[in-house]
Amino acid sequence: MSAARARLAAAAGALLLAAGALADTLAIVHARAFTGDGDEPLADATIVVRDGRIVALAAGLAPPGGATLVDARGRLVTAGLMNGATQLAVVEVDAVPDTNDQAVSVGPLGAAFDLSYAVNSNATALPLARADGLTRAAVLPTGSAAAPFAGQGALLHLVADGEILERPRALLAVQVGGMSAGRAGGSRAAQWGLLRNALDEARAYGRGTRPGAPRDQLLNHLDAEALQPVLAGRVPLAIAAARESDIREALRLAADYRLRVVVVGGAEAWRLAPALARQHVPVILDPFADYPATFDELGARLDNAALLERAGVTIAFTLPPIQRSHNAGSALREAAGLAVANGLPWAAALRALTLNPARIWGLDEHYGRLATGQDGDLVIWDGDPLEPASAPVEVRVAGRLVADDSRQRRLRERYAPARQGEPWPPAYR
Amino acid sequence: MHRVVRRPAAGVRRGPGPLAAALLLAAAAATAAGAREPLPFALDPYPSTYRPLPRTDTLIAHATVLDGTGRRLEDADVLLRDGKVAALGRGLAVPAGVTVVDARGRWVTPGIVDVHTHYGAFSAPFTADELEHSDVNEISDPNTANVWVEHSIAVQDPSFARALAGGVTTVEVLPGSTNLFGGRAVVLKNVPATTVQAMKFPHAPVALKMACGENPAHQYGDKGRFPSSRMGNFAGYREAWLKARDYEAKWLAYERGEATEPPARDLKLDTLAGVLHGDIRVQMHCYRADEMAEVLDLAREFGYRVAAFHHAVEAYKIAPLLASAGVCAVVWSDWWGYKMEAFDAIRENAAYVDAAGGCVALHSDSAIVGQRLTLEAAKAAAAGRRAGVAVTPEHAIRWVTAEPARILGLEREIGTLEPGKNADVVVWSADPFSVYSHADLVFLDGARLYDRADAGRRPVGDFEAGQPALGAAR
Repeated sequence: MSAARARLAAAAGALLLAAGALADTLAIVHARAFTGDGDEPLADATIVVRDGRIVALAAGLAPPGGATLVDARGRLVTAGLMNGATQLAVVEVDAVPDTNDQAVSVGPLGAAFDLSYAVNSNATALPLARADGLTRAAVLPTGSAAAPFAGQGALLHLVADGEILERPRALLAVQVGGMSAGRAGGSRAAQWGLLRNALDEARAYGRGTRPGAPRDQLLNHLDAEALQPVLAGRVPLAIAAARESDIREALRLAADYRLRVVVVGGAEAWRLAPALARQHVPVILDPFADYPATFDELGARLDNAALLERAGVTIAFTLPPIQRSHNAGSALREAAGLAVANGLPWAAALRALTLNPARIWGLDEHYGRLATGQDGDLVIWDGDPLEPASAPVEVRVAGRLVADDSRQRRLRERYAPARQGEPWPPAYR
Repeated sequence: MHRVVRRPAAGVRRGPGPLAAALLLAAAAATAAGAREPLPFALDPYPSTYRPLPRTDTLIAHATVLDGTGRRLEDADVLLRDGKVAALGRGLAVPAGVTVVDARGRWVTPGIVDVHTHYGAFSAPFTADELEHSDVNEISDPNTANVWVEHSIAVQDPSFARALAGGVTTVEVLPGSTNLFGGRAVVLKNVPATTVQAMKFPHAPVALKMACGENPAHQYGDKGRFPSSRMGNFAGYREAWLKARDYEAKWLAYERGEATEPPARDLKLDTLAGVLHGDIRVQMHCYRADEMAEVLDLAREFGYRVAAFHHAVEAYKIAPLLASAGVCAVVWSDWWGYKMEAFDAIRENAAYVDAAGGCVALHSDSAIVGQRLTLEAAKAAAAGRRAGVAVTPEHAIRWVTAEPARILGLEREIGTLEPGKNADVVVWSADPFSVYSHADLVFLDGARLYDRADAGRRPVGDFEAGQPALGAAR
């Protein structure tokens, strides 16, 4: 915990003791509140939170008597941030297979692979993500035994003291493109063929057509059942794709089967911006992707986010693999800042960190904005949150103050320069 | 044509002056009399053919300057003449014929130096082929001190131009880390070129890449080969250094005239003996504090020095030890958790090493991070400040300029804006530690290699030329 944050937490604690009757009510006063409605933060806002929800928000509002007061002192306050596509809480150490659950490679599970069973509320990366201002995340599987399906992903609410799994089976993920084609016979055409066939078979299965008749069936019943909510439009199909041709196929698939499709990655999505906007297909993109890392990303460019947003596409953010889970909060802010440096309006970037992923994944009824009825996921920032040198002063998840209890905090305290000369080893600190 | 590297690594066991002189004399004697082969350790049969690109003398006026020596100057001018920094100060006179850049509201720093890249050797675009075999690691043996990464480099790697647009003027390209001895590194000027030699930094000290920990042990252990453990790694280092010591002694004896025939050349031992002889610097991939401390003893055992520990995520645990040993820590700002030996990384790492009086540089190891090294410094400095370590912008800029220049042994040429240094200069649109800042102009040896406002001065490598997917982007 930073010194400033510690002081604020201590002050909040002191006020809490004095509060009495309305001890469960919190009022953040003198906030510059980025509400998500409009581009300009609301000056001198009071945000009242009770039972984990925002119950009042207005400029200059007098806090209710007895409420715990937190003075934001004019600092920016936003909703807690949401990572649009991560493996947070299903990956511990990337290079150590037994600590990871994000993918399966053998067995019967394709579309039926359900990542929610693996979500670990004690994952080591979680406290750091929370301390960095992240309170929500969509976790996507990265591979199943039946390409191109990766499996079903989940939504997380990063509460500090309980189960973080908010919504299992919130999405179905597939992966297409050159680097993953090997698992589908070596051609991306096979990926799309298999995907369409799976949807056809699942539809027949849903209509009660006897499996296996009148033709061969490639899909097992587990996968056929997992596809039903997708066919019904209740669950989005998250298609990880980078090349324009694959994104075009994703649009075609969405139209042909009337699916809710979300493009993940989308390095060349800017080339199809009007079509994506017209079909209301959102893109969760990596703003760092700006060079031809693979042949699928020859058209990658830094203003992908800006071009998509300008065309009316709903965007949110994901990250390069090495940062995707372990710096799921801090690197996401930096990524958003980079998009702004390359043409995305600042307010649009903040929405892409909050409201947009909430809409894309279906949480916006209660998360994504600062407004009455929304969850009390709140971050007070010590500067512009899109500057990587900035940090939260205070993070609240469902109204509750989150302490930085990360391993990183323990390590930085143990090895602080002032303690280097102490006679007893760090293990005693 | 053989050529002698004139500048051995600074701070090595033997003094550089006499050694360089001896090498030159040996080379001269060999050429003149034809009698004696020169000591092979420091020869460069692939010499630099770099020539600065066309340039005009330039005055960058009214900028906020972080000069790399720790100074910050407001409303200051920088004069670039004949490829060198000629003057730095307020209200400099404008000599006739000089191009003036109005840098009001903009910031100026030395060119960024990245001491850890694999540009050209792990070249974009990556393909499924590279999962099987890549030009960055020679995975046939844990000791490939005989390979030189410059023989792998594809100069058309788009990563070079991306780094240039991020203000990077000098890069060290290293072999990968699967081997105990990965091979020789090479220092390049980040200038678009059609040959590696045309990018080679003239007379830059040679370096050997070595690696600790998981990568060598896993690479060979997984194949049932030696080494499969960290103790195996150390045995591998020591056995190789023993042979190198003998080889060096034989060559020195031959040089003294105690043998008539030169020893049989061995390319691995050339490189290793070059390290023991003080001609070649060691750049060592090493994450864990306990391993770094043991490598310091290993170096003492065989009488060589480590220039820097790269990826030193646990440097903060032994900051005073590194400072007293004079070995630099080359780190990221915030990468962690992707492998076991990166589990204990903290964002205060650079600031803590710095606070102990140690030498720190931020590196990339990535074509993405390599475009924004000033943001790496910004994040590392901010984490330090929150933990109570005062780090000013004028100091933090040294982590990506002066300190990496020192790690390469090029502190006399690059890394600061002191008069006489190479005119490697970046003009930033705003505070370079802000995510919103762009490199507007990048000068290398005084030539305007990159201009954000001039499409004709934004280099596009052959691979990207004419790619339809780039559309109107280029």
